[in-house]
Amino acid sequence: MEDIEETEIVASEHDRLVSAISKLDKTQHITEPTRNEPTNLSSEFNLTKRTNRLNLNNVAKILEDTAHHVQIGKKLKKTQSVSKVLSKPLEKPQAERIKRATGYEATKKKVGRWDPVVARSRTVDYVAFPLKHASTKLEPTGDFLTKLKMKSDLERELEEVDPSPMVEDEEEEEPVLPLTYEEMVMHRQRLAKMRAQQSYKAAKAKRQSKIKSKKYHRVLKKEKLKQELKEFEELQKNDPEEALKKLESLEKARALERHTLRHKSTGKWAKNKLIRAKYDKEVRQELAEQLAVGRGLTKKVQDNQSSDDEADDAGVSNIPLSQDPFNNWMMQRSDKSNINAEFDFGYKKYIQNKMNKRKDDSDTDSNDENMDDEDNTTNELSALKASISKLSQGKNQDEEFNNEDVKEAQTEATTNVNATRKRKTRQTETQKIEKEVDQVVSNPLFKKSKKIVAKTKVSKPVATSNWEVEAIDDTESKHSEDVLSAFESHETSVAKKVEKKLGEIRRNIERLEQAGRVNQRETQKIQDTQQRDNLEYLKLKNKKVKAVIDEELIETSSKTTPDEVTDQGLSKVLNTAVAPVQEAAIADIDTHGFVATKPKYLNSAISHGENEYDQLDDDQVVPRVNIEQVFEEEDVVASFRQEKEDEINKDKPEPINATLPGWGAWGGKGVKPQKRKRNRFILKTPPKIPRRDENKGDIIIKEFKDPKLAIHKVKDVPFPFESVKDYEASIRAPLGNTFIPEKAHKKLIRPSVITKAGKIIEPMDEEELLVPKNRNFKNEGVIKLLGQKK
Amino acid sequence: MKNTKKKAPQRYFDTEDKQPEQKGESNNQNVEVYNIKITPGLLKTNKFKNYRGHNRRPMQKGKQNKKFEGKAPLAPEKLEAHSRGEGVGKGVRHPLHAAKLRKRERKITYAQEQAARAEILLTEDHGCLEVDEDSKTTAISQKIIADNVDISAASKIFELNLEFGPYRAKYSKNGRHLLLGSKKGHLAAFDWVTKKLHFEINVMESIHDISWLHTETMVAAAQKEWLYMYDNTGTELHCVKKMDKILRMEFLPYHFLLAAVNEFGFMTWLDISIGEVVGHYNNHLGRTAVMTQNPYNATLCLGNSKGVVSLWSPTIKEPLAKILCHKTPLTAIAVDNRGMYMATSGVDRSMKIWDIRNLDGPVQDYRLRSAPVDLEFSQKDMLAVGLDEVVEIYNNCCSQTTEKPYLRHRMAKTINNFKFCPYEDVLGVGTSNGFTSIIVPGSGEPNFDALESNPFQNKKQRKEAEVKALLDKIPAELITLNPFDITEVDVPTMQEQMEAKKKLLYLKPKKMDFTPRHKKKGKTQIARKKIIKQVARKEFIEQAKEAQKLLNLPEAQNTKKQSFGVLDRFVPTVKSRK
Repeated sequence: MEDIEETEIVASEHDRLVSAISKLDKTQHITEPTRNEPTNLSSEFNLTKRTNRLNLNNVAKILEDTAHHVQIGKKLKKTQSVSKVLSKPLEKPQAERIKRATGYEATKKKVGRWDPVVARSRTVDYVAFPLKHASTKLEPTGDFLTKLKMKSDLERELEEVDPSPMVEDEEEEEPVLPLTYEEMVMHRQRLAKMRAQQSYKAAKAKRQSKIKSKKYHRVLKKEKLKQELKEFEELQKNDPEEALKKLESLEKARALERHTLRHKSTGKWAKNKLIRAKYDKEVRQELAEQLAVGRGLTKKVQDNQSSDDEADDAGVSNIPLSQDPFNNWMMQRSDKSNINAEFDFGYKKYIQNKMNKRKDDSDTDSNDENMDDEDNTTNELSALKASISKLSQGKNQDEEFNNEDVKEAQTEATTNVNATRKRKTRQTETQKIEKEVDQVVSNPLFKKSKKIVAKTKVSKPVATSNWEVEAIDDTESKHSEDVLSAFESHETSVAKKVEKKLGEIRRNIERLEQAGRVNQRETQKIQDTQQRDNLEYLKLKNKKVKAVIDEELIETSSKTTPDEVTDQGLSKVLNTAVAPVQEAAIADIDTHGFVATKPKYLNSAISHGENEYDQLDDDQVVPRVNIEQVFEEEDVVASFRQEKEDEINKDKPEPINATLPGWGAWGGKGVKPQKRKRNRFILKTPPKIPRRDENKGDIIIKEFKDPKLAIHKVKDVPFPFESVKDYEASIRAPLGNTFIPEKAHKKLIRPSVITKAGKIIEPMDEEELLVPKNRNFKNEGVIKLLGQKK
Repeated sequence: MKNTKKKAPQRYFDTEDKQPEQKGESNNQNVEVYNIKITPGLLKTNKFKNYRGHNRRPMQKGKQNKKFEGKAPLAPEKLEAHSRGEGVGKGVRHPLHAAKLRKRERKITYAQEQAARAEILLTEDHGCLEVDEDSKTTAISQKIIADNVDISAASKIFELNLEFGPYRAKYSKNGRHLLLGSKKGHLAAFDWVTKKLHFEINVMESIHDISWLHTETMVAAAQKEWLYMYDNTGTELHCVKKMDKILRMEFLPYHFLLAAVNEFGFMTWLDISIGEVVGHYNNHLGRTAVMTQNPYNATLCLGNSKGVVSLWSPTIKEPLAKILCHKTPLTAIAVDNRGMYMATSGVDRSMKIWDIRNLDGPVQDYRLRSAPVDLEFSQKDMLAVGLDEVVEIYNNCCSQTTEKPYLRHRMAKTINNFKFCPYEDVLGVGTSNGFTSIIVPGSGEPNFDALESNPFQNKKQRKEAEVKALLDKIPAELITLNPFDITEVDVPTMQEQMEAKKKLLYLKPKKMDFTPRHKKKGKTQIARKKIIKQVARKEFIEQAKEAQKLLNLPEAQNTKKQSFGVLDRFVPTVKSRK
């Protein structure tokens, strides 16, 4: 207390000292008034340097001193307290949505904890219920005894002093409360957290919905788009099937949009606008935008495997829509150059971008052409590109193209290139038109270009018959050389493109075959591979009777017209090419009696009927009389071989003769069909898989399918298996106790769920989460599989 | 003692100092030095490592416990013998199913291991005759054997002199009971070990063949006209008129089929569990009196007069396979228990061994001095050859060419048929006037599986076994050349179905790899034959060499040519052979 007084004294003295010193310089200082009274006049003497705002707290502090002023003080404070005005609650559906979202997340997390438990119980050999059971393991006596401890002296003394209170009463009370204090606190905290999250999200949503800035929304949209694109690309990398699904969902959205009348010119709003559109440019613009939205949504989304060609086509169709000279609504303004682009969002934009890129590529090419029109190689190059794009297009449409000549493909490609070139010129022309706003001039030109497009479309491949397949044009060779050179230079890039384009899903032989039609080189390659395949096939199945399937034959549809058969000319040729080779390989081994083992003359006993003297024990005995000649019938062997021959020939299908005698040549008796025709119309059947008894000499093994056995055989491979081999391996081992030891048998036939009779199966509680075997379960694949929400 | 006292006491730091120095010296050149900066994180991890190491130590101790080393290691060959082949690979991508399959594979390997371990329970070993180098096993007669074995074994050599013409004899599946049927109608069944007669009747008709059915309480006899069945008291149970004029019969125990071929070439399979004929057709081979079953796949082997052996199953009315074995009529066929080899003999006094599993051969070709009457394989793959009144038993005659018989028994009567007694070293011979039982050491399987066939089974066990066998009955349709056909997927049908499914719209086609599991492993037929050819060529060359040595031809003297050093290559080479 004294200290405080002293300091006060010192302070006052110090003040006086300061004022005295300040008075030393002759300037007059205006001291701060200690009290202010509200006046209307502002006097020069009452100038205050501080804010004259009254701190009510200080006032209230004074009031605190007296007991009956406390109430007033409090009131005063209350008026002062800054109370926030509660924000208007969100609309109910919105609030609900947010509530659901947060609830979902929380629940997901909560339920997700069970994933390993579920995964484990699905994976283990068997689950025994009830889950909880007292361990029957017996503790060693020593261990058990160590747990029992005498009370220490201190404990005993303490007990004497303060006997432990009766606990039972408390225990009775506890279960009355549904929750303990801690639990209650936890519960409340959790609830509060939830509410906080909810309100936070609500506030955020509200804030965002209030934002009117178009720019902001645009940015937001862009971001979203970017995010989605990123996700999509990732998905494409990781899970192409999922990506496909996503694309499909897009397609579905498109279908919906097509179905509805949204973004069309039929709504009330649109009709109103339509009236005003005559006079107002802005309105026209708006309407156009709206229509563009609809168009964007209903536009068929091309998957990323789509080709250049298609993309180009799409480009063609787009341009007149956006820049149609007849439709001035569709005209793009110079200031709002890219209305369409704005509405191309999502994957569509991504795809469009890709297409644009490709178009740019071809643009550069065509520019080159423009510079040097006579340059053939560039022409060829783009032709190749076009043809390759066609190949991928074929993949997309997944249609069986008929066999095409290389030459045809080329010509078509060149026409395609011409078309693209013309398209370019047309574009420039249309731009010109735009500038000049001269529709009359543009009209014929436009029509012309359109005609060209139509022409190219007409020249697109239709089913070509085999007649043209055989026909060889001399221009072909000339072209092909160019093609080859061009191809070599761009082979790598083309291959890359092809690889990129073709999804993993559609990588099959069909593709190869179609690719084969694109150019000779590739067909050659495929031929090789096929040949190899075929050889391998024959090699592997050398003596195998099962799985006797000729793939070539199966690929043709059941009704084999000559056209279709010649479609498979490649494989057919191959087969015939392969067959003789194999036959030759077989032929150089003398089959008959090859392994004829040398007869061993055994010193066997002789029955007493024959003679008694020959009981000698010499090792090799040469027979004196060749008795077999007496019984032998030579025709036995011959007839058996004949039988075998017949058996072999019975299975061999006859070559199909499709010649029409007299068709295109003279017919009648004695007129031999031309060799060329014979080659073409007589279909040689592919060589059969070698029979099991082929090299075995005088053994016939019948090869037929036993229908009665087939009933018992498995005809379908069940779900998790993707190969026959794996499935067969899974059923290879017997389970019966006559085949394997009893212990193993019991192990193999143990049911997956074991229950005890008469025991109630309680649901799992959360303790199960803490069981080490559940916590240690680390099979990520299974957890992910079972945990995924659909 | 003195020396040690004089020495300065060795301190621990002295020794420690020395060791690192040495280490440093020795390691200087080879060891890279890493300068590791010690960070708290590193320390922590090290601490963790130490901790884990500490935890591990007791486990290692447990492993080192010499008292209990765990289960004895298994020989890989033994494991291989019980292997079920290659398991499921990584073809299954579904994680859950893949995990389950992995577990199953583990169980299968466990079963394999257990089976290999259970071999220790097969205590008995089959014996054989061993003689000095200069003597032959054929010299050992039944009398000598009887003198040298114990009395109970010696009692297995016996002879029954019966008057009703040539007898056929057959043992029951467990080898305990014997059935005799004679041409003149004498039918008798008895427990041949205790010689306790079950029944003995004369059917007053010729009996062409006899057979036990699934238990010893029922027998079938192919009589002059029809097939009759009797119980173990001689009471006639059935007269099957659907099966007439039967020549030969075989009972297929796992299918409960009584297969028979009659005089006109009709083949019949009678399911005796339901009394239904499952297969009945003519084989178009004429009269075929030579028939046997292949125990491996339950097909019937018929031998005809043109030397062709054909394999038959009840559901297919054509032979599954045909083999031209001899150029003369066949006299006998026998197939060994595992279905690996088939022995055939013809009138041309030859005997051939065939690889019946791969349908290939002949593996061996023997010429005998007279045409065999009957052939029979024992459980241990000894081949009995009946030559009129002599039985010869050959050991190891299939996989390698045998030189001489293992055992020979001469009788004073002609042989009609003979059978090896299962689980006994006994051969029972049905002869023209009676039955003879002889001992063939090492012919029978010494270890029997009591759940499969129990020679000592009592009535209750028999009933139990009958029920179990009925439950395990195999359908007649499964009789094919390859008994494992059933474990394979019907790929052609499956492909057809998948093709059909592919044509449906809006259906995702299933991806499937059609390569079957069992491919021909190892050498192909052609390669194998090439190898055989090469070996034969080598042999020939060696023989030629030896012959040349015998002829003592003067060797072409190789006089050393004049050497020109580097210029040798320009010296014209003169071909030695001219």
